[in-house]
Amino acid sequence: MFKPIFEKLGRDKTIIVIFVLLIFDLVLFGYIFFGTSAEPGVYFLDVGQGDSELIVLPGGVEILIDGGPSNGRALAELADILPFTDRYIDLVAMTHAELDHFGGLISIMNRYKIGAFLWNEVKGQSLALRDLEKVINGNKVKGIVLKTGDKIKYQNSVINVLSPGQEKFKDINENSLVFNLVYKDTNFLFTGDIGKRVEELIKDKTGKIDVLKVAHHGSKYSSSAEFLNIIQPKVAVIEVGENSYGHPTEETLERLKQIGASIFRTDKHGTIKVIPKNNTVEVFYH
Amino acid sequence: MKPHQVFFSTTLFFLLGVFFKSLGASSLIILFVLAVAGTFLFLWKLKNKKAFLWLSFLSLFVFLGALYYTAHDLRFKNINIFFDKEIEFFGVVVNNPTIKDECREFAFELDKPLKGKILVKTSKYPKFEYGDQLKIKGRIRKPKFKGYRDYLAGKGISGVAYFPEIKLVGAGGGSPIKSVLYSIRNRMNESFQKVLPPLEAAFLNGLTFGGYSGMTKDFKIAMKESGTTHLVALSGYNISIIIWVVLGIFVYFFNRRISFILTGLFIAAFVVMTGAEASVIRAAIMGILVLVADRSGRFYDMKNALIFSAFLMTLQNPKVLLFDVGFQLSFLAVLGIVYLKPALQKLIKMKETPGFLSWRDNLFTTASAQLMVLPILVLNFDTFSSISLLANVIILELIPITMTLGFVIGFVSLISYYLSLIFGWFTAILLYFETGVIKFFAGISPSLDLNFNLTGLIFYYLIIVGLIWTVTLRKEYV
Repeated sequence: MFKPIFEKLGRDKTIIVIFVLLIFDLVLFGYIFFGTSAEPGVYFLDVGQGDSELIVLPGGVEILIDGGPSNGRALAELADILPFTDRYIDLVAMTHAELDHFGGLISIMNRYKIGAFLWNEVKGQSLALRDLEKVINGNKVKGIVLKTGDKIKYQNSVINVLSPGQEKFKDINENSLVFNLVYKDTNFLFTGDIGKRVEELIKDKTGKIDVLKVAHHGSKYSSSAEFLNIIQPKVAVIEVGENSYGHPTEETLERLKQIGASIFRTDKHGTIKVIPKNNTVEVFYH
Repeated sequence: MKPHQVFFSTTLFFLLGVFFKSLGASSLIILFVLAVAGTFLFLWKLKNKKAFLWLSFLSLFVFLGALYYTAHDLRFKNINIFFDKEIEFFGVVVNNPTIKDECREFAFELDKPLKGKILVKTSKYPKFEYGDQLKIKGRIRKPKFKGYRDYLAGKGISGVAYFPEIKLVGAGGGSPIKSVLYSIRNRMNESFQKVLPPLEAAFLNGLTFGGYSGMTKDFKIAMKESGTTHLVALSGYNISIIIWVVLGIFVYFFNRRISFILTGLFIAAFVVMTGAEASVIRAAIMGILVLVADRSGRFYDMKNALIFSAFLMTLQNPKVLLFDVGFQLSFLAVLGIVYLKPALQKLIKMKETPGFLSWRDNLFTTASAQLMVLPILVLNFDTFSSISLLANVIILELIPITMTLGFVIGFVSLISYYLSLIFGWFTAILLYFETGVIKFFAGISPSLDLNFNLTGLIFYYLIIVGLIWTVTLRKEYV
């Protein structure tokens, strides 16, 4: 049956045709078996000095908090974690308008379709925000302004917005969106770049925290002893890279040790994957 | 002397003049001309062949070359820039900005009262585009290292501003044609980023349009170590693939004559799109020359085509001859493919058939080009990848189809994103394989310590010329 085709096309072309068909099959089966979402869990992406976290809820909803600096590393990590055929991220949140948090979002939004863009409506000083606005408007992405008290619900998971409220601070970092994710029985806290002042305001709203995204890359002006004592994180993830600010600071590391948190750092462990399982969490890294 | 011989010698002498003058050897030029003219005059007396008289006369063109270089240099020196002072200035972005090591880089033509062209290095965002009119506050520095200074001088750039304060004051300040072509190119690059993972997208962008935009440092090093950097250098090889693909498409719809014209126009537009780098212009000129020669049915002399394209480019900018490594590498590589490859094929007897996806042919092509550029490569980059032959033979088979698919993705994405995604799957598999091979060979590439000085360089090329000579001569007697 195949012999006439082979003779007509010649050896080289036959091999190419078979190869093409094989790839087509692989992609198709890949699509069927792996679907269009990554393994549920929370991913702290290694983006260098900056923040980026991907939440994949049970059921496949994908939420990206921040996109790291404009070095393309968040995009590369996403392309690694999400299946090749997945080109849709349900929600993208920008905690605040600083380049090490939104720079990477520009190229991410070029590659992925976005359900909605969440932010705090504070524009700050960064000129590059113009480029982000351009791509958001160009792709007709819906923008939603979040504030204290807002909730995002999907199946059994809930994300509570703890800050900022109506009134805004002068310091752009203090206006960071703070998210409390309740995922199965696990409590996550995403703090952006907040300092002690906002920690004071939210400390009684969360209860005990299982996994903490340490605020402001481990700055000594964040993660106060009082705050940590109340929320009692078991796992503390610091998103940090090479920098001139001394992040993460000795002081913060010491305070985290004091309360007995296991510390993970993206500069040492690379991208960190946290998967809640039966009242505990499993932490994976390279 | 036949006209084409006159043409060849005239051009060669002219180029020699430019070459000597770039070396800064004015007195050497006079000596050289006297020596050459004298020798040929002597030979003419001795053998009484008119050709030698001709050559003796033509050697005067060395002066013309030197003179041209000087004149061009004077124009280049006609700049007015305050260096190393905090100043405010206006101007226009005059090229398609590129991303290099997470930074955006562009050439900037200064407005009055200043005069000249500088390079501006700034953060990736905010994004600036060709034709943007900017107000810049900062320091313009002279490039410190000689190599970098010469490289920039080759592009007519005399200073660099690092991370200055930039304000956009207007747009659309460039040529509308360039503007459109650059935006098409950028759209295509964006479509690669849409359908492919970042590294693969950057590699495909390099294959189709040339350049390192968006590549990670690690990958650039991997390409260097595996000897595959030339793939993204948009050489004659890439252009010839484009010419054949485009011509193939046009011939399908139009008659030969119109197809040739359209292909020529397409290539010209493509060259502008890629930023008109020396190597691209050379490759395009060569490609178009082949087209024209084929069309007019005239015998196509590679030797004349090569020197003619060198001449055109030197006219445009005499500095490329000595200071543009890319220019030298691409010429040597072509010389290798034209002259050394047949010699090698005669020397090492292998089966005549090209093999699966013509791997045997690729082996000889790579080997002859590599052998030819080796000393220049070592002299300029201190590296030679011993593993490159194997890596190239494995990858080169797939480059034409990968490039073709790249352009297909680019064009199809203008119509439908989802359709381009389907082509993206196929391209992705090829690109995964190619980048995988590059990384694999970079990992196992043993570092080779080679050193060349000028004597070694001359000696090396004498051996190669000798090899070509003997093998080719032997052919004639067998």
